[in-house]
Amino acid sequence: MRETFTKGMARNIYYGGAVFFFLVLIGLTVDTVKSLPQTDNRENLTEQVAAGKRLWEINNCIGCHTLLGEGAYFAPELGNVYTRFGESTEAIKAFIKYRPVDGIEGRRSMPQFNLSDEELEELAQFLKYVDGVTIARDWPPNIQG
Amino acid sequence: MKYESQGIAKMYFIAAIGLFLGQILFGVVMGMQYVVGDFLFPEIPFNVARMVHTNLLIVWLLFGFMGSAYYLVPEEAERELFAPWLAKLMFWIFLVAGALTILGYLLVPYAKLAELTMNDLLPTMGREFLEQPTITKIGIVIVALAFLFNIGMTILTGRKTVINLVLLTGLAGLAVFFLFSFYNPDNIVLDKYFWWFVVHLWVEGVWELIMASMLAYVLIKVTGVDREVIEKWLYVIIAMALISGLLGTGHHFFWIGTPDYWQWIGSIFSALEPIPFFMMTLFAFNVVNKRRLDHPNKPAVLWALGTAVMAFLGAGVWGFLHTLAPVNFYTHGTQITAAHGHMAFYGAYVMVVLTMISYAMPIMRGKKAANQTAQVIEMWSFWLMTVSMVFITLFLTGAGILQVYLQRYAETPEPFMVVQDKIALFYWLREAAGLVFLSGLFLYIYSFFAKGPEVEVVEG
Amino acid sequence: MKNDELQQKQASHAALASLLNLTLFPGISFIVLLLLYKKTLPGSFDRYYVVLGIKTNVWAAIALFLVSGLMIIFGGFYSPWTWVYVLSYFMFVHSMFILFATWALTRCWAGGRLKTTVLSK
Repeated sequence: MRETFTKGMARNIYYGGAVFFFLVLIGLTVDTVKSLPQTDNRENLTEQVAAGKRLWEINNCIGCHTLLGEGAYFAPELGNVYTRFGESTEAIKAFIKYRPVDGIEGRRSMPQFNLSDEELEELAQFLKYVDGVTIARDWPPNIQG
Repeated sequence: MKYESQGIAKMYFIAAIGLFLGQILFGVVMGMQYVVGDFLFPEIPFNVARMVHTNLLIVWLLFGFMGSAYYLVPEEAERELFAPWLAKLMFWIFLVAGALTILGYLLVPYAKLAELTMNDLLPTMGREFLEQPTITKIGIVIVALAFLFNIGMTILTGRKTVINLVLLTGLAGLAVFFLFSFYNPDNIVLDKYFWWFVVHLWVEGVWELIMASMLAYVLIKVTGVDREVIEKWLYVIIAMALISGLLGTGHHFFWIGTPDYWQWIGSIFSALEPIPFFMMTLFAFNVVNKRRLDHPNKPAVLWALGTAVMAFLGAGVWGFLHTLAPVNFYTHGTQITAAHGHMAFYGAYVMVVLTMISYAMPIMRGKKAANQTAQVIEMWSFWLMTVSMVFITLFLTGAGILQVYLQRYAETPEPFMVVQDKIALFYWLREAAGLVFLSGLFLYIYSFFAKGPEVEVVEG
Repeated sequence: MKNDELQQKQASHAALASLLNLTLFPGISFIVLLLLYKKTLPGSFDRYYVVLGIKTNVWAAIALFLVSGLMIIFGGFYSPWTWVYVLSYFMFVHSMFILFATWALTRCWAGGRLKTTVLSK
C-alpha cells in the first residue's frame, strides 16, 4: 500500500474532526435549548408537576415503563397515557392507587407504592404535562404508545 | 509481565468477572419475568432486577477498563504505575461502594433508598442507568479522578504512545461526561436531552476510544504487526467514531420535543456510525492475516477478532437497522431497541474486556498462555456466549418486528400488554438462549481453573 | 509465491468491488467485477479474487433476493410474520456475506488465497 496517507494525516483528521463536530454539537445544543420554549410545555411545569417528576424518579417508574420511548420495555409507554386514559388524571390516579400488593397471578405486576392522594395528584399532573410536550410528527404513531 | 504494578489488574479483572456473573443471573431473572410476569414479585420487582442488571454491567465494565488500563499503561509508558497503593485503595472503595449500592437496590424499596441517601439534597436518582444514589455517584467521580490521576501521571512521566494517549482521552472523556448525571432539571425535555450526553457520548463516543485502544494493544501483542501500522489505523478509527458519533447523538433527539432538524442530522450522522466498527473489523482481520508471529494464546486472538465482528454486527448493523428517523418513528422504544442494545454492548464492550483479560491473565499468572485444556474450554465459552447472544438478538428482533407491526403500524393497533402476550414465544426462546449464555459464562470462569498440558512456546 | 504488483493491485480492486457490491454500490461494482474479469488471466491471483467476487455476489443475490422474495410470496406481503422472518433473515445473511467479503479482502491484502484458517499456521 502506498504511503500517501500518513499517520500524521490520520491524527490531524482525528483532532480536526473531533474538535469541529464537538463545536457543532455545542452550537446545535445552544440552538435547541433556545427553541425549547416552543415545544416543551414549560408553561405547565408547576411545582406540583416538579414534585410529580420527583415521585416518578424515586419510585423508578422508568424501570418498567417508557416515557417518550425511553426506559424499560416491560410495561406501557406513559408519555401519552393521559390521552390514552381519556384525558383523565382521575383515571391515572385510580390505576396507580388500586394496584394489588401481591400483584396479579401469572401477570406482569406493578407494585403498590402507597402514595398519598396528594402524591397521586402530583404524579398524574406530571404525566399530563409530559403528554403536553409537542413532539415531532406527533410521536407516538398511535394511542397505544 | 514487564512491570510489577501491572499485576494490580488481576484484582480488577476478578471483580469484573464476579460482577459479570451477577449481572447475567439477574438478566436470567428478568427474562423469566417477561414470560412469568409475577416471578419473584413483590420481593424483586422487574425494575429492581433491571437496575441491578444494568448497573452491574456498567460497574463491571468499568472495573474491566480500569484493570486493562493498569495492565497496559505501565507497559506502554515503560514505567511502573505512578501510585500502586492508590489503585489498590480505589479498588476496594469502588467494590464496597458498588456492592452496597446493589444491596441497597435489593434490600430496600427504591423510594426508601432515596430517602436514606438524602437524594433530596441533590436529586439524581431515578433515571435509567443512573439509578445510583447521589452519594454513590459522588463516590464514582472520586474513584474516577484518582484513577485518571494515577494513569495520567504514569503516562505523562513515561513514554507517550498513541495507544496510551487515546486510552487516556477516552477515560478522561468518560469521567467528564459522567458529570452530566448530576444535572437533573425539572424540564423533561432538558432532562432527556442532557441525559444522552452521558449515555450516547459514552457508548457511542469516548468508550469507543477506550475499546479501540485496548483492541490495538492486544493485536500488537498477539500478531507482532508493526506499531506504526496499528497506530495509524487507530487514529482513523477513532476519527470516524467521533465524526459520526458526536452529531450522531441526534438520533436520540427525534421524539423528545426537540427541533425537527435533528431528524435529518441524527439520521445522516448516525448512519455513518457503523463505519468505525467496520474499520475495526477490517483492521483486526488484516493484522491477523499479516501477522508476524503465532501467539500461543489462541483464545485471545479469537476474542479480539470476535470483538470486532460482534461490535460491527451489534452496534453497527443492528444499530443501523433502526437509526433512520422514518424507521425509528415506528421502532422507538420497542424490542428492536433491546435487541440492538444487547448485541452492541456484548460485542463492543464485554468482548473487548474479555479479550484483554484473556490476553493478560495468563501473563499475570506467570506464563505466556494458559494450558491446552484451559484454552480449549475458554474457546468453547467464547462460542457459547457469542452464538447464544446472536440468538438472543435474533429472537428479540423477531419479537420487535411483530411488536412494531401490531402495536405501532397496523390499521387497528393493539394495546401494549396484548401485544406482549402475542410475542411471548420469542421471549421463551430468548430465555433459553440466555441460559445457554449463562452456561457459557460458567464455562469461561471454569477455564481459569482447568488443568492440562502446558503449551509449548517456540522462541524465534 | 509472490504476486506481481499489477496482479496484487487488480486482486485488491476485485475484492474491494465484491465488498462494495454488497454494501454501498450494488450493481455498478458488479459491472466492475465483470470488467476486471476480462483484464485477468486464467489461474492468476487476480482472477481468483475476481471469480470469488462474482460467485459471492451471485450467491448473495440468490440468498438475499430470491429467497426473501419467495418468503414474501409464500408468507404473504401483508402478514407481519412474513416480515419477522424476512427482516431477520435478510439482516443476518447480508451481514454474513459482508463479513465474508471483508475477510476475503484482508486475505487478498496479505497476498494469499482463502484456504488457511486464522488459528492454524
